[in-house]
Amino acid sequence: MESLLQHLDRFSELLVVSRTTHVRTWDPVTVRRALQWARYLRHIYRRFGRHGPIRTTLERRLHSQWRQEGGFGRGPVPGLANFQALGHCDVLLSLRLLENQALGDAARHYLVQQLFPGPGVPDADETLQESLARLARCGSAVHMLRFNGYRKNLNLQEDSLMKTQAELLLERLQEVGKAEVEGPARFLSSLWERLPQNNFLKVIAVALLQPPLSPRPQEESEPSIHKTPGEGSQALVHWLLGNSEVFAAFCRALPAGLLTLVTSRHPALSPVYLGLLTDWGQRLHYDLQKGIWVETEPQDVPWEELHNRFQSLCQAPPPLKDKVLTALETCKAQDGDFEVPGLSIWTDLLLALRSGAFRKRQVLGLSPGLSSV
Amino acid sequence: MAQDSVDLSCDYQFWMQKLSVWDQASTLETQQDTCLHLAQFQEFLRKMYETLKEMNSNTIFERFPTIDQLLAKACWNPFILAYDESQKILIRCLCCLINKEPQNSRQSKLNSWIQGVLSHILSALRFDKEVALFTQGLGYAPVDYYPGLLKNMVLSLASELRENHLNGFNTQRRMTPERLASLSRVCVPLITLPDVDPLVEALLVCHGHEPQEILQPEFFEAVNEAILLKKISLPMSAVVCLWLRHLPSLEKAMLHLFEKLISSERNCLRRIECFIKDSSLPQAACHPAIFRVVDEMFRCALLETDGAPEIIATIQVFTQCFVEALGKENKQLRFALKTYFPYTSPSLAMVLLQDPQDVPREHWLQTLKHISELLREAVEDQTHGSRGGPLESWFLFIHFGGWAEMVAEQLLRSAAEPPAALLWLLAFYFSPHDGRQQRAQTMVQVKAVLGHLLAMSGSSSLSARDLQTAAGQGTETDPRAPAQQLVRRLLLHFVLWAPGGHTIARDAIALMAHTAEITHEIIGFLDQTLYRWDRLGIESPRSGKLARELLKELRTQV
Repeated sequence: MESLLQHLDRFSELLVVSRTTHVRTWDPVTVRRALQWARYLRHIYRRFGRHGPIRTTLERRLHSQWRQEGGFGRGPVPGLANFQALGHCDVLLSLRLLENQALGDAARHYLVQQLFPGPGVPDADETLQESLARLARCGSAVHMLRFNGYRKNLNLQEDSLMKTQAELLLERLQEVGKAEVEGPARFLSSLWERLPQNNFLKVIAVALLQPPLSPRPQEESEPSIHKTPGEGSQALVHWLLGNSEVFAAFCRALPAGLLTLVTSRHPALSPVYLGLLTDWGQRLHYDLQKGIWVETEPQDVPWEELHNRFQSLCQAPPPLKDKVLTALETCKAQDGDFEVPGLSIWTDLLLALRSGAFRKRQVLGLSPGLSSV
Repeated sequence: MAQDSVDLSCDYQFWMQKLSVWDQASTLETQQDTCLHLAQFQEFLRKMYETLKEMNSNTIFERFPTIDQLLAKACWNPFILAYDESQKILIRCLCCLINKEPQNSRQSKLNSWIQGVLSHILSALRFDKEVALFTQGLGYAPVDYYPGLLKNMVLSLASELRENHLNGFNTQRRMTPERLASLSRVCVPLITLPDVDPLVEALLVCHGHEPQEILQPEFFEAVNEAILLKKISLPMSAVVCLWLRHLPSLEKAMLHLFEKLISSERNCLRRIECFIKDSSLPQAACHPAIFRVVDEMFRCALLETDGAPEIIATIQVFTQCFVEALGKENKQLRFALKTYFPYTSPSLAMVLLQDPQDVPREHWLQTLKHISELLREAVEDQTHGSRGGPLESWFLFIHFGGWAEMVAEQLLRSAAEPPAALLWLLAFYFSPHDGRQQRAQTMVQVKAVLGHLLAMSGSSSLSARDLQTAAGQGTETDPRAPAQQLVRRLLLHFVLWAPGGHTIARDAIALMAHTAEITHEIIGFLDQTLYRWDRLGIESPRSGKLARELLKELRTQV
């Protein structure tokens, strides 16, 4: 067992090095050894990946490696990033080496011979060859479908690109959570700092709307080892609630319908969402001349958007819808319980919502995904 | 060898030009043209590889100075990379270009460049920058998530197609014809990639709402090819949709079946049954439109071969598989008989479609008489102007081997006066073209032979010569003439069944079979009889054993 773990350590180091200019010093023997180790680990994963003790030990070792590299606060893990990757660690290593132009001539020649020996060569690693060919084919398939058939789905949670990113995020969160209890929160914070934020927020929303993660086929036999699915979503909710400026950006950037769906699904978010909406509402003041509610500062949320969001929330199924109406009534009461427009934004909102709801029932084609009032 | 090398150079020029025109295959024309040539280009690549692997880098460049450009252009065409094994062969060709010991910086640079191209092929062409950044940020490499991404894209497209199919009136969600056509083109190189199956199925089954066909013919051809070569597995509903939407595919499937039958061992109904069942055509034929096309092709084959017994046997096995498949169909979705046999009276169709297995043995004779009456009515009825006349009725009758082959047997087995209806049926089966007079004569002839055979059946010492005399054979008439065939059939049945017949079987056959053609005919008869007995369970151990032995012996003779 100890030698296996050492193998894992060495291999992770190898992976890191394979991206650096250090490979300049590698000769064919080094390349051969590296590929052999990869092949060995791949074999171990495929044979024992389901087997309780070995799997747990390997995972724990990986997790401690990640913690040593600075936990999840810094950038992506440079070595082996997730446990499932062991199943194709040979492909990972091969591709990193192939992308590395610092590789010397002799090493390069040897590598290429090993990866693509041609038909009928004895001792050839057929699995690796097939995996590489399959990857090339898969890549072209994705490319062609993307440019010749794919159309962005307006329902973000059904869009295939969004879904894939969301699935990856949830998977990663689950794994990070296993490695370290505080892992997910720090990990998400570091992502927030490093990645394009708009896309990240959308992915989070889609992730929160995914059906509970079904366990991967090869893990079905060992349910006790893994925590229940939905861990990832919980981590996300927890993090959003703990980071108010992120949550504010989240609520600002995403469309009303999507936020309603997310809040319906995760009731813990609704008080904070409503709180935000209330704050936004209070920033608007009534312009007597124009007869409308206007923003105080240019970055404030305008009336239309506020109204939009409340309207969407009022179309959600009962627990949420009732909470929203109650909140609005409460605010209206606090403001003085006026019935006349122009004095309290809450009054005006309620008025607009009521007449809007009536009108909406008359019009066909309610927005998709939401139940009608 | 020299000729090969000249061919290769010519091909090289041709493909170089093609690749330059295709570029990255981003327009409709370039995509269509690429799809048409995918298989040929792969063949060319294979030939190139065979040549290149014998040479070293320097000699390669001397012979093909622009080889790096050719291969690079191919790598930039996603259709080529996606097709079958092209990416593997391309990679191998590129590897041949690597200089094992570079002498100068130019050669080193070339090696670096090749490494870059290889990496490009495998790096799974990135598109959305945001997606790439996100996945990288999480620590995933393309190999980790590309299969999952492909699956999501395929499922999403498939469900969009299904929705488009069901919700035709909601124009907002409609898929434009251009997008559908584009999707079908893009699937052509990907047909044999299992991940794409749900999309292929959806494209076939969901035919949208345009009056004319939108999907590209090369898509149908590619799917059909993959089905025939067993490189894809689709549900039956998708296959039926394919054959209904694209007639050439159905025809090709039939031709493929014929080729298999021709190239396999002659006269083996078990094998024919295997091939037919394997082709999925019987199940597909439960749809009347497909049945009609298949039947028409069988008819043509029969006409072209002048009624060859092998074709008749194939038709009979096919019909049997078809009827079985029909029986398994959902009763509510069944089509009326008339749609399969529009020119036949429903009562005749119904009687013929009965499986002898389902009819009690005592009623077989009665059923045959009934069939005979109905057929005779159809044949002799001139006033209705029924299509095709006697040949049409005959073509219908021969479909149903269970009954058609039973007639002679029934005649021989009954000791009573042979019923005229059965005599007529037998005469009709062997010579549909005869006029009334001729047929009446044949019936008389057959009756006489039956009488003789009946008389001989009790005797324990027979000789083959006796048999010949009884049959009135030995005259110098055309051995292929229907009457001769008919009589041979009776004699063969006799030697298999009559108690005394076993001893003279070999001699009788030796006398009958003076040409290879007749020997084949007898082999065919024995094989078919054993096959039929097996199905109906009417074999007597002694007859069965004899038939099997005779079959074995005759097979070694031809």
